[in-house]
Amino acid sequence: MSENLRALSNRKGLDKNLFEQLVDRSKGEGTPSNEVLKSLAHEYLMGEAITYGVSSFYDFLKEEHRGVKVHVCNGSACLLAGTQDSLKEKLVDNFEENQISHMCCLGRCHENSAFNYGAKNYSGKDIDQLSGIIDSKVNSLKDSYTVGSQLDQPVLTGNPMSAEDFVQAFKQLNSKGADQVLSELKASNIRGRGGAGFPMGFKIESCKNIEADQKYIVCNADEGDPGAYSDRYLLEHQPMLVLFGMMTSGFIAGANKGVLYIRGEYPEAIEIVTNAIKELEAIGMHGANIVGTDFEFKFKVIEGAGAYVCGEETALLSSVEGQRPEVRVRPPYPTQEGLFGKPTIVNNVETLASIPWILKNGGSAYASLGTDKSTGTKLICLDSFFINPGVYEVEMGIPFKEVIYEIGGGFKQAVKAVHVGGPLGGIVPISEIENLNLDFESFQNGGFLLGHAGIVSIPERFPMIDYLEHLFQFTADESCGKCYPCRIGSVRGREMITNSKNGDSKIDKELLDDLLETMEVGSLCALGGGLPLGVRNALQYFKDELNQHIKQE
Amino acid sequence: MENTVYINDQHVEFTSGETILSLLRRQKIGIPTLCDAPNIKPFGSCRVCSVDVALEKDGPSKVQASCHTPVTSGSYVYTHSDRIKKLRKNIVELVLTDYPKERFAADSPKKNSIAWITQEVGIGMADVRYESGETHFNNKPDDSHPYMRANMDACINCYRCIRACDEVQGEMVLTMEGRGFDSKVVIGQNEGFSESECVSCGACSQACPTGAITDVFNSKFNDATEKTRTICTYCGVGCNLKVATKNNEVISITAPYDAEVNGGHTCLKGRYAFKFYNHPERLRSPLIKKDGEFVEASWDEAYDLIATKLSEIKESHGANAIAGISSSRCTNEENYLMQKFMRAVVGTNNIDGCARVCHSPTALGMQRAFGTGAATNSVEDINHTNCMLVIGANPTSAHPVTGAKMKQAAMKGTTLIVVDPRETVLARYANYHLQLRPGTNVALLNMMLYYIIEEGLMDLEFIGSRTEGFDDFQNQILAINIDAMESVTGVKKSLVRDAAIAYASASNAMSFHGLGVTEHSQGTFTVQLIANLAMITGNIGRKGVGVNPLRGQNNVQGAADMGVQPHQGAGYLDFTNPEIHDLYQNYYGVDLPNDVGLKIPEMFDAALDGKLKAMWIMGEDVAQTDPNITKLRKSINNLDFLVVQELFMTETAELADVILPGASFLEKSGTFTNGERRVQRVNRAVPPIEGTKPDGQIVIDMMNRMGYSQPDYAPDTMLEEISQIVPFFKGITWENLAINGKQWPVAEGGVDTKIIHTEEFKIGKGQFAHFDWRESEELETNASEFPYIITTNRDLEHYNCGAMTRRTGNVDIVTEDVLLINIEDAQSNGIADGDMICVTSARGKVDIKAKISDAVKPGVMSTTFHFPEIMVNLLTSDVHDSEAKCPEYKVVAAKIRKSKGEVREVVG
Ligand SMILES: Cc1cc2nc3c(=O)[nH]c(=O)nc-3n(C[C@H](O)[C@H](O)[C@H](O)COP(=O)(O)O)c2cc1C
Ligand code: SF4
Ligand code: SF4
Ligand code: SF4
Ligand code: FES
Repeated sequence: MSENLRALSNRKGLDKNLFEQLVDRSKGEGTPSNEVLKSLAHEYLMGEAITYGVSSFYDFLKEEHRGVKVHVCNGSACLLAGTQDSLKEKLVDNFEENQISHMCCLGRCHENSAFNYGAKNYSGKDIDQLSGIIDSKVNSLKDSYTVGSQLDQPVLTGNPMSAEDFVQAFKQLNSKGADQVLSELKASNIRGRGGAGFPMGFKIESCKNIEADQKYIVCNADEGDPGAYSDRYLLEHQPMLVLFGMMTSGFIAGANKGVLYIRGEYPEAIEIVTNAIKELEAIGMHGANIVGTDFEFKFKVIEGAGAYVCGEETALLSSVEGQRPEVRVRPPYPTQEGLFGKPTIVNNVETLASIPWILKNGGSAYASLGTDKSTGTKLICLDSFFINPGVYEVEMGIPFKEVIYEIGGGFKQAVKAVHVGGPLGGIVPISEIENLNLDFESFQNGGFLLGHAGIVSIPERFPMIDYLEHLFQFTADESCGKCYPCRIGSVRGREMITNSKNGDSKIDKELLDDLLETMEVGSLCALGGGLPLGVRNALQYFKDELNQHIKQE
Repeated sequence: MENTVYINDQHVEFTSGETILSLLRRQKIGIPTLCDAPNIKPFGSCRVCSVDVALEKDGPSKVQASCHTPVTSGSYVYTHSDRIKKLRKNIVELVLTDYPKERFAADSPKKNSIAWITQEVGIGMADVRYESGETHFNNKPDDSHPYMRANMDACINCYRCIRACDEVQGEMVLTMEGRGFDSKVVIGQNEGFSESECVSCGACSQACPTGAITDVFNSKFNDATEKTRTICTYCGVGCNLKVATKNNEVISITAPYDAEVNGGHTCLKGRYAFKFYNHPERLRSPLIKKDGEFVEASWDEAYDLIATKLSEIKESHGANAIAGISSSRCTNEENYLMQKFMRAVVGTNNIDGCARVCHSPTALGMQRAFGTGAATNSVEDINHTNCMLVIGANPTSAHPVTGAKMKQAAMKGTTLIVVDPRETVLARYANYHLQLRPGTNVALLNMMLYYIIEEGLMDLEFIGSRTEGFDDFQNQILAINIDAMESVTGVKKSLVRDAAIAYASASNAMSFHGLGVTEHSQGTFTVQLIANLAMITGNIGRKGVGVNPLRGQNNVQGAADMGVQPHQGAGYLDFTNPEIHDLYQNYYGVDLPNDVGLKIPEMFDAALDGKLKAMWIMGEDVAQTDPNITKLRKSINNLDFLVVQELFMTETAELADVILPGASFLEKSGTFTNGERRVQRVNRAVPPIEGTKPDGQIVIDMMNRMGYSQPDYAPDTMLEEISQIVPFFKGITWENLAINGKQWPVAEGGVDTKIIHTEEFKIGKGQFAHFDWRESEELETNASEFPYIITTNRDLEHYNCGAMTRRTGNVDIVTEDVLLINIEDAQSNGIADGDMICVTSARGKVDIKAKISDAVKPGVMSTTFHFPEIMVNLLTSDVHDSEAKCPEYKVVAAKIRKSKGEVREVVG
């Protein structure tokens, strides 16, 4: 993080955002040319190296992305489903090898065979219509998945909020006033849905308590965990809930700008949210004097450019500032020194989308859902191995087996484990499912992690060693590269596994343990720090399968 | 229990907000680090600084990186627990998997951080358990640049270089490319140093722990046997240098981190441009001109000849037929000796220094307004101000380390107003760039003052209690014709108004000015108006405010302080006052003249008239750097006798009768006084080159030879002599200057002063004075025939006449003087980028290469004067500041045409 770059970028701020410029200028060629990078650097008074270094970080901006036309999903769910090889074979008939690249998880984990072409995502059987897609003759393809809820009054999956509902909700917000709404949020005890589970009320309150000429609300819509598409659901089908959640946060904390950082892998979500903002604008719910009050709030959508680590909140802020999204040291926390150095609240899409319900029904009503420490409801995502793939809203604390076997209907084929909470989550063997409830504490006590609650199934036929190799490779690919344990460790770990698979040499268990410990306690953020959990779970529960790869004393 | 913490179960107090690492360092507990460095912010990438932190005794502990984690009150920190020791070792093991083996074997733990840290954590290359895998070896080394070097095989991705280039220099030449394991440091757009925007400051090279980025001198890793701390000779910033030597030869220079002035930073001149000192062209013997040819002579021969000649001239024409020019490049002690020699031995007040041609209007203007001709504040105040007003100065080139600090502040949001005809680097970062026509400073400042009064933004309390003359001043300012001034300056009045409001409403506003203020016919007036701006807004006497001239040469301040000026003796005392005259006579023990002597331009006029017969010039190349050199050469040729003390055969030395080979700053001791009144120790790093002598010793030899007994040159005894006559040096001793020097006035006991005029001005009340703008005589006379205005400036890479920098690697970076010309003017004269153009002024003409640039407006061109091949000073005029007689280098009326290729020619 460079204070200078941050300040220089802030001279143009969000209005003419440097990162947005880079993304815009990559469209077409697939990467901004060195001349464009130079001229942007001059315009923003930065060194020529800076824009060059920034764009080289992102999958969709870097030089290697030049000329890429189609992206094949290489996320865990599609990998495990085994759909991507044949998908790629079909693509090769229509594209040059160098026109095909990867995207990591398009949020189509419920039907796989996912690919992205011409700023649209496709999955399932769409590939069969490839020539129509290329000719633009086929342009109405949409994926569909079950959306279910166990609740009478769903928090997140009810009838979508309309623009009129938005106005009414704002009036209610305004009449209650910031302090009362804040205490409702605190009473609801809602914890962040982005993975870390930090109480939302605290965050808003600490930001509210800091005096500043400018504050920001940031919606973290970078949902990068392969297997998770619940944020995608909310953005595409409940955008007003998310936008209203942001506006409420801003109303309480005294922020008048809201940034939605939506991953580039979700082009439809970007379009839908942008349109929802336009709709609000049309009825005077955007900008100054909202509903005749002196409250002002403006949204800004920023499109990501292919980097998982941008979901980490400080990397995300650097990304919006047009810097390399390398994780920052904390403190200072974003609520103290966030976007452009100003107090900033970063919340996950799902966390924000819960706010309207809390406002309407009260904090204690929300707190009465779920368990003591994990209140409310949670969206879970089931992949295509389930009989009933889809997004479901469940009360926190329900038995995990209910999720897997009742809601999900069990598996279509033999599955040996579920990976819950993304690549940095835990690997739960089938045998442990019955010991868990779906809440933060139960998972943690069981040695796993609820995280964002994407659920990816690992079928019997898929060798665990391959899955571990995939996890290390994922970390190596997505590491920001700042801290040593993650940057070097992820590659050394992947090499150890590859060597053992190839029969070159078996894994030195002590060294692997040392490596996992080094990454876990030494890493700066939860990317390097989170990987060891799943690996350890696998080593514990799949000893028999993995033993052949481990050097025996 | 506030601010207490347990370190390895020992109870310790800490300072609020400090990091665990800083506390541990104060406790002298060794913690290994790789990405941490003294002058950049904590970053947290290497993680080897990790420690265990528990919130209660024997409670669960968490691993935290000590470099960026603040101490938590009441916590228990364990620096060497088993798991921490293992963690550190395991991290270093990972680093070694991607570090070249051959290099590791050769690295010394004293210099290379990898070799050091492996010792600290107890691991060697042989202990690495990982099988060989992907690495970052076999990079192509970058040796494209005269100074900078890179070989990224040894890079450990600590980001220190990148952060230094950003946080210290502010250039942002370096970045990481790619991400994760693939990320690697690249220079520019991965194009290497010479193609990049690198300004060769060397901050990255000093920051790099492994030598992956280094320099031709391998400064951090060479086998120097001794290191000497001294002060840079190149500019008024006064950077501290650490000079590494071996066998009495300088092999590299770095910057000490504990230097208050430059905290581990320098520019390329200070760090890399030292090779001039033992260049083959150094003069190594006294030379006497016989029949138009120089022949080597012994010191005795030379001294005898000089003594005889000077005595003869004094006998037949009087002492005032002799004049001396001292040098701002030399030490305080040498300057003091030179003026003492002229006054007490030769018997004339004809002593002046090169400050005349740069900052004499500053000294005079500030003396008139405040009573003291020196910066009111310190450079560190940049970190405490809300607004910087930079007038006629290009500090990123001419005062690079101060310039870097200003740029840092401006980037981070300190309001910046730049008044300059050129779009300087700072102007690009400025909130307000008032790009005025050269020669209209007075008009522009009057406009600012007008708007401040009109907007009612004066600090009436300050004006009332601390100044005089405001009412008259106010009436006169309000009477100026603002529209006329708008068209004279060419700057929109609304912009001037906005800038004036910004300056006046900042809670602390600070001004800086350079030669773009002084080298004008109204230079002294401009300085007084800058003082008015400070006084009218009450920006005097506290941190972050004041009037701060950016002194050109390293010791301009000191030379004037030491009495190198024809109207005041050492310590600025007025010798025309009989009491003071007696004081000096008693102190020097001889009769002294009490008539005011000649200023430099007057000396040359007197020589032309035949009244001045002999001159002694110490360390100044007047024949390249003074204006209108055609006329100047005539004057010198008219002298009977010229002595020049020099390092090289300069244009001036060529004209001498006797040349005495002096010694450079690396070869002598003494003190320099920087632009913030800081007197700092210069320490001899190597003995004088054989055949040369420190300039001070040469003067002392002559004093003794001419019958005045002066002990041999030694900095401590010289300082003792000076401190007894210069009031503001009273408390200075060689010992108490220590490593960071002292800012004068220094009271007895050694208490120094960061900010002056805090309670009252030296002259009691600050003096307001009004001046109307007047068109420069040069333009009045010549503008009709010569429609363009040329203004002169300096490059970062070269120093003045270039006698030193042209004899270093710097010439490979900037090879020639060029003329910056706006595209409009180029097109209308059929000139393309890189064409030679012929520039003519009323004095002469030169051919120079055109560089099309939008840094200058149409009608204005700009050039440097570092190379004798071009002799830009054939063009400059002999118009001077009306008060201080500083020449008007900044305004030359000229005409241009595409040239056919001749080089230089003299008109008339
Ligand atoms: C490598 C990494 C990736 C992350 N990705 C996301 C993400 O995609 N979406 C998200 O909301 N939070 C993500 N997080 C968590 C955020 O850093 C942050 O905790 C969250 O946005 C806070 O919002 P919440 O309190 O509402 O959960 C990620 C964290 C890490 C370490
Ligand atoms: S753990 Fe990985 S992603 Fe996180 S800061 Fe370190 S290198 Fe970056
Ligand atoms: S020498 Fe200075 S300007 Fe050049 S890259 Fe290094 S730090 Fe940056
Ligand atoms: S070049 Fe040197 S300073 Fe820069 S990242 Fe590499 S090792 Fe660190
Ligand atoms: S010194 Fe603390 S992380 Fe490198």
